Amino acid sequence: MNISSPLEFAAGFNGLGIVLAFIAVILGGLAIIFSFDYMRGEAQQRRYYALIIVFIGAMCGLVLTDSLFWLFVFWEITAVCSYLLISFHNENPAAVAGGIRAIIVTQVGGLGLLIGILAIQGNLGTDRISDVLASTQRLPSDVLALAAFGFLIAAAAKSAQVPFHIWLPGAMEAPTPVSALIHAATMVNAGVYLLARFFPAFSAVPGWTSAVALIGLASAFLGALMALTSTDLKRALAYSTISQLGFMVYAVGIGAIFASQFHLLSHAVFKALLFLGAGAVIHATGTRDLRQLGGLRHRMPFTHLAFLIGALGLIGIPVFNGFWSKELILDQSMREGPAWASWLLLIIIGLTALYTVRIVSLVFYGSPRHERQPHDAPRAMKVVLGTLSVGTCTTWLLAVPYAALLAATLPYHQFDLDSDVLGDVIHSPATWISLAVVGSACLIWAKRKWIAGSGWEFQAAREFIASDFGFERMARLVADITQRGAERLRAVQTGQVNWNIAQILVFLIVVLAGLAIGQLP
Amino acid sequence: MTTTAWLIGLPVVMSPLIYLAARITVRVNKLTFMTRWLALCVLGLVWLALYFASVYPVPVGNDSFRIDEVSGLLMAIVLTVTSAATVFSFADVRGAPGEEKYYAALIMMTGSMLGLVCSVDLFNVWVWFELLTISTYSLVMFRRGRSLEAGLKYLVQSAAGSTFILFGIALFLMQTGTLSLQGIARSTTDDGMMLVTGALLITGFGVKIAIFPLHTWLPDAHSQAPSGISAVLSGIVIEVALLTLLRVLAALGSTSASWGMLLLCFGALNMLGGNLLALRQTQVKRLLAYSSIAQVGYMLLGFGIAIEAGQAAAAQGAFFHVISHGLGKVLAFLVAGALLYALSRHTLTISELSGASRRYPLISFAFSLALLSLASLPPFAGFMSKWQIFAAGFRSNDAFISVFVIFGALTSVISLAYYLPLINFMYRQEMSAGVRNGRPLPLAMAAPVIVLALAIVLLGLFPNVVSEWTSRAGETFVAWFGG
Repeated sequence: MNISSPLEFAAGFNGLGIVLAFIAVILGGLAIIFSFDYMRGEAQQRRYYALIIVFIGAMCGLVLTDSLFWLFVFWEITAVCSYLLISFHNENPAAVAGGIRAIIVTQVGGLGLLIGILAIQGNLGTDRISDVLASTQRLPSDVLALAAFGFLIAAAAKSAQVPFHIWLPGAMEAPTPVSALIHAATMVNAGVYLLARFFPAFSAVPGWTSAVALIGLASAFLGALMALTSTDLKRALAYSTISQLGFMVYAVGIGAIFASQFHLLSHAVFKALLFLGAGAVIHATGTRDLRQLGGLRHRMPFTHLAFLIGALGLIGIPVFNGFWSKELILDQSMREGPAWASWLLLIIIGLTALYTVRIVSLVFYGSPRHERQPHDAPRAMKVVLGTLSVGTCTTWLLAVPYAALLAATLPYHQFDLDSDVLGDVIHSPATWISLAVVGSACLIWAKRKWIAGSGWEFQAAREFIASDFGFERMARLVADITQRGAERLRAVQTGQVNWNIAQILVFLIVVLAGLAIGQLP
Repeated sequence: MTTTAWLIGLPVVMSPLIYLAARITVRVNKLTFMTRWLALCVLGLVWLALYFASVYPVPVGNDSFRIDEVSGLLMAIVLTVTSAATVFSFADVRGAPGEEKYYAALIMMTGSMLGLVCSVDLFNVWVWFELLTISTYSLVMFRRGRSLEAGLKYLVQSAAGSTFILFGIALFLMQTGTLSLQGIARSTTDDGMMLVTGALLITGFGVKIAIFPLHTWLPDAHSQAPSGISAVLSGIVIEVALLTLLRVLAALGSTSASWGMLLLCFGALNMLGGNLLALRQTQVKRLLAYSSIAQVGYMLLGFGIAIEAGQAAAAQGAFFHVISHGLGKVLAFLVAGALLYALSRHTLTISELSGASRRYPLISFAFSLALLSLASLPPFAGFMSKWQIFAAGFRSNDAFISVFVIFGALTSVISLAYYLPLINFMYRQEMSAGVRNGRPLPLAMAAPVIVLALAIVLLGLFPNVVSEWTSRAGETFVAWFGG
């Protein structure tokens, strides 16, 4: 391989990539249609649509290439598009800060990918992902471990997994269709895709699968808790995305690649629906504060119905797509994973139901807490919401062909799935337990006043969760140290020639000393 | 041989002639445009000479001048950068007092760089280097009122550096009895005095290369100079000094095995220091100047890997980075200069960029491309060159080098935090007062900007356009150090 020549794109069509490319194109198209209404009257729309199109193209390139180099190139381009779109309202300081944070965090993670790719290329001399998967055993174990954990860091940063999840809430300053497309349905899935794609190569690295599963589980749990306490509609959905991505990452960790990808598909559809539904609400009311919304059920019946369908998918109520994929992960976890993980998963499923019911009831039920007279979604929005609602009800029907596609196109992954994936889900005891958990969660929400009245205020816990478990403070600290270090460093720049000449002399002495030391035997 | 003479001699001879011709025509009939076009014609002729030189197999030359793959490549970059700066200056310094001196000095600077890159004996290195310093100094000081302090700092520190170089040359002569850089590498004995020589030369040239912490003159000089000159200073002068230092160090080559390690350490310092200092800047040109310090760090990293591990690919990446940084940084400085001109300002703060895209869509877009390339984001030239350096670092299979590469990649993330806000400001809806009242841009400013922007994109998409030259230069470079 000659690194000086441009590397071949080498389209590598496989089930993982094709489905993700379809998601990117179809949901991208829907997001654009939705934007016709959502962005009406906004300035600089050309920039907006151009960036979305570039993003969709980059996303397709990312999942369809068989070249490590191009994988990295598109990985970076999606990050840049994401940055530019988060900061689209570039007069809003929150949007600017959110954008910078998003790109810095994902780029720091991206270093893991860069290092992993360079290490693999340097050792194997090949750029093809398929070659890498075929000849993993030729890689020295330390290089393989470096690449495996580098890729894991990159995936965690891209898919907003703990502790890199800090960028996703800030990314919610983006226009809502962008949040739906990039930060819920496509780009954040790239990390899961990366892990799933390279699973056969890395699964033998000691500790890697456990690390993946742990990161996924932690994100699923913490994300669900944060979604429960958020007072901002879009941020609550973002935390829910972190949590749901955690499910997928966990599934990869226990080797349930198909379950993870199947949930990815379901999640992309129902979360896009939820985000765009939220977009319709924000468009109509002008606020995203859950405390100021409420009672929109009568004013926005169509949006209400669509949002409800998305919510049912998220909770995992039967016949909606989220039900099948989530139960599949739970089922696989009961078989492959440790018992405690499955119990934790059940708790998270309960939390998911709880926060979803909370969001729906705060937005659409109760009495209106705002003065505006909102209108229901305009036509373009309705078309998109309707399409996605239908999708949420039906994409699970693709399970069997999807499984067959993956098994047929991924020779290095081992799929030992029954042909009757869906039947398994229905017959699994896990399904019935989880439905009971969901039921009790709904009961808890219904009786929340009574529970709160019994003296359970959870004030401290609430504050701790709302502060992002201290991760937010850590992120600020790192940024602060960098900025302060930079400020301190300015002392070097005295602007006094005497000092500058002194610096030159000191430098000479240091270099001499360094050379002399280097010369010692 | 004659082409070599043409290449180096033409600008040096023509420089005073340009000045004279301009003085005469100005006095007679105010034909100031003569001097501009004359300067451009000289550059065109040198391009032609370079083309003819490239027809013959390299290396050609004698004991004093030698055109090899490295100097050929650098000459091409020198000419690209100075041509762009000259065209840009057509509008930028039009009618300024002493315009004819400006072009004369610019051509002299070009000539001294061309001479420097093909000098293979220390006498010539010294002469051309001083000539470069003097002509650069007069250009930095061109707008006397504002750039007095910057010019003075530059002169004093350059003089200090030159002193060390002279000491180094004297020691070299004392040890080897010759000033030639060719063929003495073998006769050199493993001697402590050669290390002292190396240290003196590194420090002396280090001032010009802006090795952290010898960089203190650079932010002032690069930001106060006329923008066309800032572009040349940042885009190629630093790099020419770097390659000169490396050529001289190669002659000391067998003395010590630690030159590569030293370069890696300098690279790390520059990457960290430059990026952190740029983070706190509020003026566009100062920010770009600091970012040059960081970018030199990546070149040092590439050359350091090449020397340390004998990796021609790393040197190739570093040469590619010289090209991509040259194009990107020149473009960035030219845009900054164009905006200074359009807004009729002396300094351009970042917040004044606000809304620039609405009035100056083309150059704002070009500026964005340059910044993305400098931030080494794909699919631009800056990404490809850095990738090459990093990839070569990992291919050396040396854990120590890999640590430097990872460190470099990490500091490169810091750079996003100062490059990207510039783009953000330009694409704001609300225009700053300066932009709202800005005047239209002349073609002489827009043309080089557009050409350079195209080059950045094309080199990013088709990096193999230059890979033949950079790979040969890389191999020659490694051969210098006996790799």
